[in-house]
Amino acid sequence: MDRNLIRNFSIIAHIDHGKSTLADRLLQATKAVSDRESKAQLLDSMDLERERGITIKASAVTVMHMHNGQNYMLNFIDTPGHVDFGYEVSRALKACEGALLVVDASQGVEAQTVVNAYLAVEQDLEMIPVLNKIDLPGARPDEIAMEVEQVLGLPAEDCISVSAKTGVGIPELLDAICEILPPPSPPKSDKTRVLIFDAIYDDYRGVMLYCRVFDGRLKVGDKIRMMGMERTFLVTEIGKNTPKPVKVKEVGPGETCYVVAAIKTLGDVRIGDTITLDNNPADELLAGYEPAKQMVFCDFYPATTADKKGGDIEEMREAIEKLAINDASFTYQAVHSEALGFGFRCGFLGLLHMDIIQERLEREFNLELVQTAPTVSYEIVVRGKGGELTEREVHNPADLPDMGSVVEIREPICKVEIMLAKEYIGDVMKLCLDRRGVYKSQVYVSDTREMFNFEIPLAELIYDFYDKLKGLTSGYGTMDYEVVRYQADQLVKVDILINGEPVEALSLITHREKSEARGRVLLQRLRKQIDRHQFEIPLQAAIGGKIIARETIKAYRKDVTAKCYGGDVTRKRKLLEKQKKGKDRMKSIGSVNIPQEAFMSVLDVGEG
Amino acid sequence: MPDNTVSIPIRQRPTQFAGQPLADCAPKTINSLYLHIPFCAHKCHYCDFYSLVDRQDRQEAFLNRLIEELRAVAPLAGPLDTVFVGGGTPTLLATHLWGRLGAALHQFFDICDETTEFTVECNPETASESLFHSLRHAGVNRLSVGMQSFNRTHLKTLEREHNPENVPRTFEQARCVGIANISGDLIFAIPGQTLDDWDQDLDQAMSLGLNHLSAYNLTYEPATAMTARLETGQFTPCPEELEIEMFNHAAARLANDNFERYEVSNYAQPGHACRHNLAYWRQHDWLACGPSASGHAAGHRWKNIGRLDTYLNNTQNGFAPITDHEEPDPARAVRESIMTGLRLAEGLDKSLVLLQSENALTGSAARLESEIRQANEEGLLTDTQSRLVLTERGILFADGLAGRLMTCVL
Ligand SMILES: Nc1nc2c(ncn2[C@@H]2O[C@H](COP(=O)(O)OP(=O)(O)O)[C@@H](O)[C@H]2O)c(=O)[nH]1
Ligand code: SF4
Repeated sequence: MDRNLIRNFSIIAHIDHGKSTLADRLLQATKAVSDRESKAQLLDSMDLERERGITIKASAVTVMHMHNGQNYMLNFIDTPGHVDFGYEVSRALKACEGALLVVDASQGVEAQTVVNAYLAVEQDLEMIPVLNKIDLPGARPDEIAMEVEQVLGLPAEDCISVSAKTGVGIPELLDAICEILPPPSPPKSDKTRVLIFDAIYDDYRGVMLYCRVFDGRLKVGDKIRMMGMERTFLVTEIGKNTPKPVKVKEVGPGETCYVVAAIKTLGDVRIGDTITLDNNPADELLAGYEPAKQMVFCDFYPATTADKKGGDIEEMREAIEKLAINDASFTYQAVHSEALGFGFRCGFLGLLHMDIIQERLEREFNLELVQTAPTVSYEIVVRGKGGELTEREVHNPADLPDMGSVVEIREPICKVEIMLAKEYIGDVMKLCLDRRGVYKSQVYVSDTREMFNFEIPLAELIYDFYDKLKGLTSGYGTMDYEVVRYQADQLVKVDILINGEPVEALSLITHREKSEARGRVLLQRLRKQIDRHQFEIPLQAAIGGKIIARETIKAYRKDVTAKCYGGDVTRKRKLLEKQKKGKDRMKSIGSVNIPQEAFMSVLDVGEG
Repeated sequence: MPDNTVSIPIRQRPTQFAGQPLADCAPKTINSLYLHIPFCAHKCHYCDFYSLVDRQDRQEAFLNRLIEELRAVAPLAGPLDTVFVGGGTPTLLATHLWGRLGAALHQFFDICDETTEFTVECNPETASESLFHSLRHAGVNRLSVGMQSFNRTHLKTLEREHNPENVPRTFEQARCVGIANISGDLIFAIPGQTLDDWDQDLDQAMSLGLNHLSAYNLTYEPATAMTARLETGQFTPCPEELEIEMFNHAAARLANDNFERYEVSNYAQPGHACRHNLAYWRQHDWLACGPSASGHAAGHRWKNIGRLDTYLNNTQNGFAPITDHEEPDPARAVRESIMTGLRLAEGLDKSLVLLQSENALTGSAARLESEIRQANEEGLLTDTQSRLVLTERGILFADGLAGRLMTCVL
């Protein structure tokens, strides 16, 4: 294949701005897909993705297109739509030379568009701004083109207006792809270097790698080496999705393909890794390889059901292990909580990723889960006995060592983009500042809209920030974030004591200034959940032994039904037995019975 | 209050009937009968009994159906030791219908004025001389009068519509026709009620010459107007401390008149405890007729469907459509005896409970014994004379303790 006739590109868009529809329409226009087939949007493969309007796994489609008498090879490289998968997005973009930046002409530029566009800029991609949905009566292509210019710095006149629905502008867009997007640059060496930009698990073939060849060639039968993971495999199949899979014998520089190499689990591969030939290896990996980094953690416990005391941990283990086969980016580790029994602590790339995993566990494996509120990953510096300093990561406040030895706690800080209508600026600024946000910049988007840039600790974002934002902006504000660094702050561990006994499962890490308010909200929730006992129960929040908040559950003095007649027997008996069933699910701490719900309500704590 | 049938949108044809549990019963073995009359003049705000605001138009149809049901269950009844007609407001049933009901009862059942305790619940507002005549004629020899309070403000709070001044007249009328055995119901811990108010209510009740009194701590039942009002903050509930004072005061005050607390909320002069209710609490069998009435026989428990429509339009050889049917289960039966027995002053027969419990569930007796020991140490329970009896303090914690003991047999 003539490298100059290859175009590798991605489509970047905010959710619902029409990425899938457009991809579909482009495929149809190149006759790769019949009209009937185009019903199903081809790039997304999981139901869940379709339902949530997000793309979880990237894949690539190759089609041939005649332009000016020449047969171009167009490789659509799909990217996950959310920066929880920022690294994955960046790897997919690395496989491209260009990107279509799709903006809904009736909605305008949104936060997600901006964050993804930045990633594309970082990769030096050529971008074609596309205004979609111009068939809509509410479409304002001229205004939105100005937004694109304002926010992304792409000249308004470069925008191509299309309707993925009616097909208007699609031929022009295809022309632009061939003419404006650059071909792959020439290989730097003849030693094979192939980028893995995605990997999925296929029930029949095992792991399928999605690859882009930079240097050299790759053939069926080659013994390959993953340079990052340092493992070798034998290539058994190479192919392209057109979109139907078509096998090929070999691929050369600039091409994309899928590769099957008898790889059993996704744990054996790492996106961003470089494939080279085992007998003639390249010297260096392609730039940008990073091991997966989980930023958000939560615990899953099997829900206790009437007949399954303590839930079914084995069933859960099996499900999690299966899931890990096709998602290598989440981690899991068995844990035992005094409150909730046996479970797993899982690490995720971000909040959305966490939601996806939780939903898949529930939906695909029919599990009933108890999920604790997410925490972030902290870096702590500990002073040893001899005075030496060591660093480690902590994913759960309960895992903190004695606070006396902790020199510093560092937390992940996010760069947050927020796009919103001007009238909401005041409220949203306040929200960001409340959440320890640091104002960075503000960009004029249009006469009615504005974009902000704040730095906010991830720990603050994961507490219902997005919901609050939606609430404040009548649902119209959009945001996206990216973790940029770790930073030390006045972070403290707040212990929770029930009847004088500390309950590790309830301790939290928070900023000193917020510790009292946070502690109080937590105690108040706890108070509502714990039944009165025959004695008074103090609930306390403390930092290193110093009480910062206190609530009391009064003793009850009476527990007797007034009426119990013939017709009441069954109902009353069930009530008493339910209490007992409830007790089974309770944890007794300091002779106080604490229902599982109490832990949940507290662990589920938002800003309240 | 709207007619509470409207809240059930889907009508399914009932599939279970009382004939099913009763098939396990030997003929002529059951000695108690409960009848439910589902009509009220007005819905009291604290009430969660099944009752419809009276529509005269359905009384006759109801009575016809009730008689049909009585005929169906009658073969299972032996000589009746107790009959209890509750509701609802049984005294709202028209006089001539009471005549027919009485006739039917005597036709189908063995009822005898000397040996059968035949109680009817009575709302003072609906009492009349002619009604009492037909009650007496039907065999009624005991009345349970819903007095609730003598204080108009508190009656208003409860949305209980009767004039407290009519209460003494009701007593007179009843005695006039020869119903001498009269019980009264009072409610305490009404929002706004003081200990003094309560004391006055007790005095007034005693002045009427009762031999039995039920004194209920106001309970906020789910789905009642009272509870809704509480939850929307329309009043402040009575503080728990005061509730306890009132509860204790009742026992002390009534003792003056030679009343004994024989159940958590029930007081009687010697020999006047309500035998019908004791049958419930001692886990005897009883037959139940009328919508929403619950029956217990041969280890089964069931409940007639609590909807007048359904009751009227569905029959299986006369038996009523039922719901919540529980098959016999010895362990459950033990738990039920614990639950109701503990509430009685006579308490539980310890060795019997242990024996039944062990037979029902191996290992449970040991658990029970240890829990009993612990409750005893906590001062909640005495186990002298081979009976388990709640202490004064234990009564206040009867539910929690019952739950603990029941757990041993679960
Ligand atoms: N009217 C109109 N609707 C469109 C157009 N393109 C996409 N849509 C609709 O917009 C919604 C989101 O499109 P989709 O392709 O799923 O967006 P994605 O989330 O970016 O993949 C769907 O309901 C599409 O039918 C267009 O050009 N015009
Ligand atoms: S009279 Fe009795 S049954 Fe009728 S509503 Fe009042 S409390 Fe309920």
